[in-house]
Amino acid sequence: MTHPDPERTVRHLYVHVPFCPSICPYCDFHVLTRRAGQVEAYLRRLREEAHELAGRYDVDLDTVYLGGGTPSFLRDDEIADLVDAVRGTLGWGRAENTLEVNPGTVSPERAAHWRGLGFDRASVGVQSLDDDTLRFLGRRHDARGAAAAVTTLLERDFRVSGDLITAVPGQPLERDIDGLVSLGVEHVSAYTLTIEPGTEFARRGVTVAEEDEQRGFDVTARLLAERGFERYEVSNYARPGARSRHNLAYWTNRAYLGLGPGASGHYPVPGALTERRTNPHLHEWLTGDAGEAEPSAPEDYVTDALFMGLRLTDGVDLADLSRRAGLDVRARYGEVIEAERRAGRLTLDGDRLRTTDAGRWVLNDVVRSFLNA
Amino acid sequence: MHTRNFSIIAHVDHGKSTLADRILERLGAMGERDKRDQTLDTLELERERGITIKSTPVRLTYTRPNGETYTLNLIDTPGHVDFNYEVSRSLAACEGVLLLVDASQGVEAQTIVNAYLAIDNNLEIVPVVNKIDLPAADPEGAARELEEVIGIPADQAIFASGKTGVGVDDILEAIVERIPEPPGDPDAPLKALIFDSFYDAYQGVILFVRVLEGTVRAKDAITLFSNGKSFDVDKVGTFSPGLVVGQELRAGAVGWIAASIKDIHDAQVGDTITAKDQPTTEPFPGFKPAQPVVFSGLYPTSTEDYRRLREALEKLKLNDAAFVFEPETSEALGFGFRCGFLGLLHAEIIQERLEREYDLDLIATAPAVVYRLTLTNGTVFETQNPAEFPTRDRIELMEEPYIKLSVMLPEEYVGPVMQLLVERRGSMITMNYVGKRVELLYEVPFAEILYDFHDRLKSISRGYASMDYEQIGYREGDLVKVDILVQAEVVDALAVIVHRDKAYSLGRKIVDKMAEVIPRQMFPVPIQATIGGKIIARATVKAYRKDVLAKCYGGDISRKKKLLDKQKKGKARMKNIGTVEVPQEAFLAVLSTEEG
Repeated sequence: MTHPDPERTVRHLYVHVPFCPSICPYCDFHVLTRRAGQVEAYLRRLREEAHELAGRYDVDLDTVYLGGGTPSFLRDDEIADLVDAVRGTLGWGRAENTLEVNPGTVSPERAAHWRGLGFDRASVGVQSLDDDTLRFLGRRHDARGAAAAVTTLLERDFRVSGDLITAVPGQPLERDIDGLVSLGVEHVSAYTLTIEPGTEFARRGVTVAEEDEQRGFDVTARLLAERGFERYEVSNYARPGARSRHNLAYWTNRAYLGLGPGASGHYPVPGALTERRTNPHLHEWLTGDAGEAEPSAPEDYVTDALFMGLRLTDGVDLADLSRRAGLDVRARYGEVIEAERRAGRLTLDGDRLRTTDAGRWVLNDVVRSFLNA
Repeated sequence: MHTRNFSIIAHVDHGKSTLADRILERLGAMGERDKRDQTLDTLELERERGITIKSTPVRLTYTRPNGETYTLNLIDTPGHVDFNYEVSRSLAACEGVLLLVDASQGVEAQTIVNAYLAIDNNLEIVPVVNKIDLPAADPEGAARELEEVIGIPADQAIFASGKTGVGVDDILEAIVERIPEPPGDPDAPLKALIFDSFYDAYQGVILFVRVLEGTVRAKDAITLFSNGKSFDVDKVGTFSPGLVVGQELRAGAVGWIAASIKDIHDAQVGDTITAKDQPTTEPFPGFKPAQPVVFSGLYPTSTEDYRRLREALEKLKLNDAAFVFEPETSEALGFGFRCGFLGLLHAEIIQERLEREYDLDLIATAPAVVYRLTLTNGTVFETQNPAEFPTRDRIELMEEPYIKLSVMLPEEYVGPVMQLLVERRGSMITMNYVGKRVELLYEVPFAEILYDFHDRLKSISRGYASMDYEQIGYREGDLVKVDILVQAEVVDALAVIVHRDKAYSLGRKIVDKMAEVIPRQMFPVPIQATIGGKIIARATVKAYRKDVLAKCYGGDISRKKKLLDKQKKGKARMKNIGTVEVPQEAFLAVLSTEEG
């Protein structure tokens, strides 16, 4: 197994829209409040970059994901321009095209406009259906607005995923889950509140209680399972057939293009394995600066794949991974796998390596064991 | 040619080794080329800790201003209470001592104890007030204290500085004038005192001796008094400070003997050597075989290291007659060794040498003293191992070792220190005022000072108190065995023997400390302390806190993986007990210094 064999055709595209109406106190993504002239410059450069990517890679898209930021914050003509730039260079997703949506930006007309542009899936930042919780999280929308946004998108024939933030102090978790499920979403991303360094919450010294965290992680899973949602990733739940195909590409370590400031891509390298490249933030990106590529050695490729893949309930197929990476994973990491199995944190079923419930709770530590090996 | 045999004794840090270096330098025993500080402290550890463990003798030649030439044998002595017996044997090889006192610190506890050791050996004492170059120096005050406490006239004190060399000439003259010529008849039957020894891989045990009577030469047959074993002398010689081969050692001489002795336990410190053919009638008095008083289990962190540990212990034992060990098995820790030491410092030194020189990772169990138990069937047995402690119904009488503790401190700290001594079950023997300072003499159970006493004493007195002690035998005590349970299982290696009055607070302290130092586990783990099955304290090791990224998508892979990579796991010293990973600190929880 000396010849690595990752896929050569890139089937996934992420487009980053860095603009937001305001900055949420828990957010550590690359976001900016919009300024005059910036969006025009952004769209011009985006078109150029799409051209460059199309010239460099063999692209045949299954999925497109427009994230941010708040892509739905772009005006109707701006988002049409963006879609045109992508379609004219890289094409459009055959299977799934997702738009990240802020509840406050949705109207029936806009939903129809987005659908007409080719988006068929919306990921809605509901976060909670409790007004106190939403206020604590610094969101501009209220529970009613969030519910209306989801309903509107469903009526315009979108597949809808709702984002939920759990482990918020005082949050009525069960009511939030019931409310979201009863709106008719087919997919839920439930994140326990994490205080990231440099965020407003961190500056204010907000902490997450251990019991809230435990509830947010385990009770959410139980309540959603009872309502027909399968946990297929650490924080993601879907009705049968409704998993996010785009995000699965990340978790299975596939190649994807990153378009826009701060966007990351995972690119095939002819004659070698792959490389990762993250675009710089808006100002440098506008000058054409493409960021520095980091080539993946077989061990990087494997630990990336485990780092992401062990988040999945389905786990990782070690035979397939060994073939793609050109590295015998079981030979190289046999001791770690055995130790983690004995510790009750991983299971190995044939070639399939999975985390247990206990392992999922401390997955960072499991991954550290591989990184240390 | 005339001879003078002397030692330097002092409280720790009063500048003994530095002054010795100046004397050596003055007498040309150290060339400028190979001069390094504190020549006599040869072991790397001794140098680092600023203490002397082995007695290192050196032979010097001194020519007086009037032209007379003298041989001076300087015997450096160990500087810690653990090695008091070795100190007393080194002193027995001399006719006099330099008693050093720091000019800024004055008389300390060890000064007094050492001075009395010298007096007990009928030695001439030359008082030296050292470090007079320090800004805070009060040489007259220090000399006055010597007079008040020990009764040495203040006007006999020599003021000196090991740093600048001031007073070294006066010291040399005082050694010649005040310390007597060693007595002894070179033609009498051989009588020589062993005051130290070390093991040499080629020549066997090298004995450091003081010849009291008679003469010893190569090819003589010698006999050891304590065990009657005989050996043929290969070589004799003196120290410069390295070994120099000579013709003979005559009465009064200090030197070394190599006689192909394979086992250092055949050549114990304090034993008397005589001639096989023409033995002396009486040995030199005061010999006692080295007696370990503190015991602890040593276990390799990884079981594969058991053999290496045994080999390392055997090597250390070759050179250390006071150190003993025997195999021990613990359910919790597997195969290891029960080791006996002269004191806590000795234990720490051995453990550090095992880790440093032999590259072993060890788990050490809490140190224990030797208890004496009289059983209901009349048998008396001694045990230092909690695992061997019989059940209460089989015990008629329980006794624990006591020490006479001397504490020297400024009077403003007397109240809090007496309070500490009461907490440690001490009872006062007497209290002496020395100027503005006080000497407290107490009888205290040895076990009570074993753990954190010295640290507490230092912190209560802001570092001003000093202490020294000697073993004084056994006293009755109401002792109980406290068992520690991890996940409802008794962990034999964690059991401790303690006085009943202390059992509850100690149990509480141990479980709290353990719950603090045992890293979070997959599941909550209860830690309990029990006496005879009754739970007296309980604490819980929490389950892991959530340690998984809530969000991880395409843009996060490189950055977040790098973050994890930075948090590489430290190589912790852990032992698995059942499914629980227990770190070394947990086994020493009983030593933690916070008072409950």
